[in-house]
Amino acid sequence: MWIYEKKLQVPVNIKRRDLKMANAIFTQFGGPNGELAAALRYLSQRVNMPTSKSKGLLNDIGTEELAHVEVIQAIIYQLTKDATPQEFIDAGLQGYYGIWDGGIFPSSPLGEPFTTAYINNVGDPIANIYENLAAEEKARATYEQLLNLTNDPDIIKPLSFLRQREIIHFQRFGELLDDLQLHKQMKTQFRVPKIYFETDSL
Amino acid sequence: MDQMLSRQDLMRKIQELSFCAVELNLFLDTHPSDAQALQDYSYVLKELQQLKQNYNQKYGPLLGFGEAYVSGNYWKWVAEDEKWPWEGDMVF
Amino acid sequence: MITPNIEQYLKHESAPKLAQAYIPIQMYRNLFNVNEALYHGTIFRELFQPYKPSHPLKF
Repeated sequence: MWIYEKKLQVPVNIKRRDLKMANAIFTQFGGPNGELAAALRYLSQRVNMPTSKSKGLLNDIGTEELAHVEVIQAIIYQLTKDATPQEFIDAGLQGYYGIWDGGIFPSSPLGEPFTTAYINNVGDPIANIYENLAAEEKARATYEQLLNLTNDPDIIKPLSFLRQREIIHFQRFGELLDDLQLHKQMKTQFRVPKIYFETDSL
Repeated sequence: MDQMLSRQDLMRKIQELSFCAVELNLFLDTHPSDAQALQDYSYVLKELQQLKQNYNQKYGPLLGFGEAYVSGNYWKWVAEDEKWPWEGDMVF
Repeated sequence: MITPNIEQYLKHESAPKLAQAYIPIQMYRNLFNVNEALYHGTIFRELFQPYKPSHPLKF
């Protein structure tokens, strides 16, 4: 099971409201390369992993991704808190306001609802790890795109933190890939042909 | 020394150590027999437990579901003057 | 046709394979201090790769 800890993984203290930036950051909440997709991807894949290392790593990175969902929620919440209808209009977000008001709905900046079509979980563990390596890279690139859109140090700090985490996760998945490829190789290499037992038992 | 820290500083120290624990945890997942990493994990864990215990006693539980010490005659987890983590730093 | 001997086979087995990706295994060294790791987003100096936007914004 999971236990909630009443603490953010990294501090988020935003002083200046910025609806346009909040809107862009929605991609890391409910968008295609976002944290919610990452958490669901790893926590789904962990179940049918073949080794304890792979179950453990997917479980633990998936859990850290849940903490990242919360960091993204904190950033969006603090960037939009107490915004007036006029501020939504000024940011060109009257459409968002009309549907959701201040509610932080898991969607992309374009208002597309979050979907598990962003993730996959096939039976082949190695194929899954290649997907995860790509996902970490795309998330890193997304953070760089977001960092290109702001000058506010209160936003830059947590976004840079989250971007760096993608690099660490990439490295860990890479190490796991090596382990799983070896595991697969050993399984095929040391598979004793059935015929051997049949002849031996004669 | 930790007794003298403000609530915000204490929380910051917990975040710093807790982050090291996450980082070492992931490293150990792919290097489960690394002696130095194991030793560092134990060290971080010990420090972290001390800080969290200190925090819990002063400001209420960090964890629900029976995982942290509680006291007093009110369920502080939902005290109205408490901020939740996404609402910004615990500056009081 | 080449007839592989066991030595050739083992050498081949331990070498990187075609159509397979490899990422070097990290060594446990060069750590940030416990109190600075959070601000770098990692405890490992060797994995710390900060980003600087290439197009500075004007406000």
